[in-house]
Amino acid sequence: MNRALTVARLQFVGWRSVVGWPWGILALSFSINLALFSAMNEADDFEPTTGGLMSIYVVMIVASINAITQEFPFALGLGVSRRSFYLGNVLHFAGQAVSYGAVLYLLAVIEEATDGWGVNMRFFGVPFPLVDHPVLRFLGFAIPFLLLGFIGIAIALVFKRWGVNGLLMLSTVALAGIGGLVVLATWQGWWSAIGGWFADQPGWALLVGWPALLTLVLAGLSYLTIRRATP
Amino acid sequence: MSAVVTVRDLTKRYRGVTALDGVSFSLAEHRIHGLLGRNGAGKTTLMQILTAQNFATSGEISVFGQHPYENEQVLSRISFIKESQTYPSHLRVTHVLRAARLVYPGWDEEFAQRLADVFQLPRGRNVRKLSRGMLSALGIVVGLASRAPLTFFDEPYLGLDAVSRQLFYDHLLADYTEHPRTIVLSTHLIDEVSDLIEHVLLIDQGRLLLDVEAEALRGQVVTVSGPVAAVDEFSRTGTELHRASLGGTARATVRGDFGPAAYDRARSLGLGLEASSLQDIVVRLTTSNNGHAAGAGSAAAADKEAVR
Repeated sequence: MNRALTVARLQFVGWRSVVGWPWGILALSFSINLALFSAMNEADDFEPTTGGLMSIYVVMIVASINAITQEFPFALGLGVSRRSFYLGNVLHFAGQAVSYGAVLYLLAVIEEATDGWGVNMRFFGVPFPLVDHPVLRFLGFAIPFLLLGFIGIAIALVFKRWGVNGLLMLSTVALAGIGGLVVLATWQGWWSAIGGWFADQPGWALLVGWPALLTLVLAGLSYLTIRRATP
Repeated sequence: MSAVVTVRDLTKRYRGVTALDGVSFSLAEHRIHGLLGRNGAGKTTLMQILTAQNFATSGEISVFGQHPYENEQVLSRISFIKESQTYPSHLRVTHVLRAARLVYPGWDEEFAQRLADVFQLPRGRNVRKLSRGMLSALGIVVGLASRAPLTFFDEPYLGLDAVSRQLFYDHLLADYTEHPRTIVLSTHLIDEVSDLIEHVLLIDQGRLLLDVEAEALRGQVVTVSGPVAAVDEFSRTGTELHRASLGGTARATVRGDFGPAAYDRARSLGLGLEASSLQDIVVRLTTSNNGHAAGAGSAAAADKEAVR
């Protein structure tokens, strides 16, 4: 465990870029939107969501791919075991998810209190109130960080172990699988049932529960994959 | 002296390629080992397996008495500096040094800073913007300052000028003397390190050709020159690895168990005799048909007749 903590610290030796990129891009996106909304002067009852919040999550997925393609060979070169590297990453991601989620939650609260930064802009909030409970709202910000982090790790690991062919194979299997299910659902007329199922799901399950479950599955598969990966 | 590394019958096969073929040896503690061989001989693969970065197809390895795979106790005592090491692209030189300081228990920060000065490393420069030589120097600084009980240098000098290489050898030797540890130095610049190396491991095509003390090897291979008949006569006492003829004279590289008596004998035959340099020995052994036949170890002298 000590070694995993070391790995987590290892990833912060260049902390300026680790922290700077996600928040820098988010800040840029926010400023552009703020300027745009100020210039537009829309009516009070109109409150569109910008979608600019996505930028920080996109940076997260890029960073997690980097973790495998760049940090992994470096860490193993320094004599870190695969297990410690993986655990260190989990710690790093979890720490980021919690802290970033908390900051985003605070910003969303401020956004509400200031009537959308004075210009009716919804940047941090979501348009449909999926969850009201503060803890669940916080998790709604935090869990997607983890999910995207592990999606990035899983994809990068497939590349690391099986190369471009592995990625192509994964895409082929995904395409065939999803395509097959779509055809099956259409053929059997399941779409209304599927829609109903989603509608019946409580907001917390869609925003927190299912992503958390998917994260766990990906985390487990990634661990099995990294155990035999070579830098 | 106890063995730090033990390898038994190690084989590594990639699809259709046998990188290592039944290699067995052990590395004694507190020595400088030269791991020599041509490109693609299997040196890097061997070091990758010993540091658990790669996986063996079959065979047994033991490092500090245990298997290194996922073994933190073993891995934290190893430093593996390889020419192909990559660094995360956002890191600067100073970040890499800080990372190494975090990871290696025996890290000497003062020594690292001194070495960085010696090699004139620009601390604030991004690793991607370093020249090939500077990148090698960074690896060398990490490898030396880590003070790992088992340190591998895999061709650490790529792009380094002659002055920097000499600085590396000097600092390696000085620090090794002060802080004895087990060092494996894989290199093509054999003549440059022949004074440094205490034990020689020579691999060719995945096979171990030599596993011998450098001192013992120096007397084992000699070059004789003179009249063909006399060279023939002398060669009979060993395994001839190479011969160049010009008219009635010949120059032959011979491997055998040569003591002071051999020098007397050569003189009485009217032959010039000189001990071959380590580089000559490696070149002759890896290119000679008899090199593989003679096998590893010191049994060469015993089967000299059979070979001839």
